[in-house]
Amino acid sequence: MDASLAEQQRVLASDWGGGKSPFGTSWSKFMMWIFIISDALTFAGFLIAYGFMRMIAPAWPKQTEVFSMPLITFMTFALISSSAVMAMGVGAARAGDPKKAVKFLTLTIIGGTIFLGCQAYEWSHFIHEGATLTSNPWGVAQFAASFFVITGFHGFHVFSGVTILVIVALRAAMGKYSADGVENAGLYWHFVDVVWVFVFAFYYLL
Amino acid sequence: MAQAHGDQVIHYKQYIKIWGWLLVMTLLALGLGYSPMPEGLKAVLLVGITLAKIVLIASIFMHLKFEKMNLVLLTFSPLVLALILFFITFGESGGSSTHTIITH
Repeated sequence: MDASLAEQQRVLASDWGGGKSPFGTSWSKFMMWIFIISDALTFAGFLIAYGFMRMIAPAWPKQTEVFSMPLITFMTFALISSSAVMAMGVGAARAGDPKKAVKFLTLTIIGGTIFLGCQAYEWSHFIHEGATLTSNPWGVAQFAASFFVITGFHGFHVFSGVTILVIVALRAAMGKYSADGVENAGLYWHFVDVVWVFVFAFYYLL
Repeated sequence: MAQAHGDQVIHYKQYIKIWGWLLVMTLLALGLGYSPMPEGLKAVLLVGITLAKIVLIASIFMHLKFEKMNLVLLTFSPLVLALILFFITFGESGGSSTHTIITH
């Protein structure tokens, strides 16, 4: 009897025994990572479908002429900067400095909002030129649809991220402060940045 | 949770350094977008720069460098699988497109 109890405790204490996380994280951080992985696969699906469309398209409009690259570069700058500031916010939260964390979170929210503003401008400009979800004036199949779906889905993620960060910042300012909460919101925000790095390279530059 | 304490070792200076590198690589990628090099070479260079940026963001900003290897593997393995599936079917899409269905 004692031997089997000891065996059970030994198994539970092992990495994969069920008694502790084999991933060495809190449950909430682990769940955030699981969500990020599934979300990354959604974007991988979009980008891979786009890759196939590019391969079978006889021609593709020159993106540097269709889109305003200074604007896109500025949007990239805003998002990367907000990501760097977010990392500092998580550092401040972990170090137990909610005031500093709120300051960094606010800067992150400003970066995200600038990005969204630029994207709204870009969309309205693109639509004004005659692009719709079902047709585009350049006459290249899927050029506008892939733009709207890929940047739209990403933009919705940025919008959700800003919403989440506002909630986290408000809670931190009210003293309902959890370093784990800030870190998980930060993970999501960095993921949104990662997706944009792919979109920037493969939709706008390739 | 034990691993999370590694975070505090990171100084803000390191985040600023990574930030700088990310901006430099963004400008490099932008330069590639405008350069007249062959599509294939451009694609390889852009993929390289993108992966370098992703590794920096994931390892430092997302702290994967300080997590257990189990979590790192869990994060990247589905994406590797997605890429394998992509390359399995990618080859045939390069052929010349035709609207004629060839019958035998």
